Amino acid sequence: MKNFKSQISNLKYLILVLGLIVAAWLLPALYDLVSPRTDRLPFVVYSCLDSTFIRFETTGKQVRYVDFRGQEFTKTEADSLLPLFAFRQLVAEGRLPDSLFGVELTPKKIQQNAFHFKTSPKQLNKPAVGLYTMLESASGRVDLQLPPDVFRLTDEGLEFIDCETNKVNKAKSLSFSRELSKHGFTFPVGLIWGNASTRKDYDNGFLLTDANSRLFQLKMVKGAPWVREIERGEMKIERFIQLFTIEPANRKLVGLVVTDDHQLYAVRANGTLAHVDIDEYDPETMQITIVGDLFHWTLTLYTATDSRYYAVDAESFERVACEIVPDPELPLSQRIRRWVLPVRLHFTSWQNQYIQPNINND
Amino acid sequence: MIKSIFYKEWLKLRLCWCLFLVVHMGLVVYLLLSLRSTLLASGVVETWATMIGRDVLMVNQLMYLPVVTGVGIALCQWLPEMQVKRIRLTLHLPVDYTASIGAMLLCSLVGLCLIFSLDAALLAGVEQLWLPRELVWRTFLTCLPWYIGGLLGYNVTSWCMLEPQWKIRCADMLIGAPLVALCFLTAQPACYIRMFPWLLLLLVVTVCLPFYSVYRFKLGKQ
Repeated sequence: MKNFKSQISNLKYLILVLGLIVAAWLLPALYDLVSPRTDRLPFVVYSCLDSTFIRFETTGKQVRYVDFRGQEFTKTEADSLLPLFAFRQLVAEGRLPDSLFGVELTPKKIQQNAFHFKTSPKQLNKPAVGLYTMLESASGRVDLQLPPDVFRLTDEGLEFIDCETNKVNKAKSLSFSRELSKHGFTFPVGLIWGNASTRKDYDNGFLLTDANSRLFQLKMVKGAPWVREIERGEMKIERFIQLFTIEPANRKLVGLVVTDDHQLYAVRANGTLAHVDIDEYDPETMQITIVGDLFHWTLTLYTATDSRYYAVDAESFERVACEIVPDPELPLSQRIRRWVLPVRLHFTSWQNQYIQPNINND
Repeated sequence: MIKSIFYKEWLKLRLCWCLFLVVHMGLVVYLLLSLRSTLLASGVVETWATMIGRDVLMVNQLMYLPVVTGVGIALCQWLPEMQVKRIRLTLHLPVDYTASIGAMLLCSLVGLCLIFSLDAALLAGVEQLWLPRELVWRTFLTCLPWYIGGLLGYNVTSWCMLEPQWKIRCADMLIGAPLVALCFLTAQPACYIRMFPWLLLLLVVTVCLPFYSVYRFKLGKQ
């Protein structure tokens, strides 16, 4: 206590430090509030007719349609160049082609092969609940229903908890864990991903990895477990770092997976993997959007420094086109802010939902 | 002497403590009844699915109560002491001022911890009958920064209240209020998990600050 008493006069330095911390947090935040960044990222989609990307650049209420060669299009021209993206408009105007590249086009076919996927680091980097909902994937009904239980992961297997009683359903837990073990699954579960939403056409269950980083698919079919291992073939994959289960309308895919070397793979409905030919995708730091149609996927990846656009074939996932656009120079107001207030402390981030101190990590 | 200080603080604040205890218990009972009503009305399966899938924990009404309690206790404790400079009597006791002020701070901090622990224990104790342990733990992790905010609110208010000069008191408030606000940046469940070490450090740091205000008071700053 005597030691503390002798140090009390020095607490003014502590208060000074606290003041500096508060200033480094609030002053840049106030500056950003007064002069917010208004630049919007363009929407980009690949035109199979023009073999180029078309950007939808929004400034105010105006939308410009331009390609990367600088050529500008009218809205009608853009619709014509993107027949699979703008098919509703073309149908209304009676301009939808009967066929494209020898494939007959019908609105139903276009709609069934349209695919959209979007995720960001912020959506992925958040505290997990640790409870999962296994939907019945073959109930015989059109609408999916919530099951009467949820499950957690334990070191020995899956543990189903009945919602009404809040007690473990031992028989169901044992049945699912045994079925996984029977297919060579080694507990504990590594990664797991499923879409618990009932607002979808069908359910692909869960993609999950085991202790040896082997990839499996698990579904509930008529109340019983259904398991299969996803074959890697000749692919040299050490470890998966992110899994996504997807339910596209054409039922050709089960999911998307990312490996530790940041390569993206599509999991086909037949249980095989196909490499998606893009340079890299790091789910921890990059936002990804996939717009798929009958012939191509347009993949847009936003990183901290640039925007990357890829077009890949919708069947083979081989690359068709690629554009990498560095981020534009910071606006003057932001450059002034960085010069006047060089240290920016913030507790929220575009990369995750955690509250934690970040310094100059915009 | 220290025991007498504890007793004096109890006599001074017992009504406030009882009032805040009733408000806390009342709100927790309300939250539990509200959860029970949702479980019965919407169905257990749907309620669990909402809590798991949509990050809803139904405890958001509790968010600012701990900080109101912390600030309220500090105001009730230090306002009478500072109004007619009654604190001088405490500072003239035959014990070191760090011990006497420390004892006063300690009994309030212990009281706040007791109320907050009762809150959390009642909430978790009843919730675990209806919800899986993961959701109960998640609720606790969500409420924890709010409780730390309550303790920080007490420390910062005590620091400002004990400061003898108004202009310095205003500066202290400008620094202290954002520090307390750090505990309320989001109501998203369990998102403070990486921030807890920093908040605990801040709690330790801010508990020292009222001593500096009293030190200045003793120096005769007016």
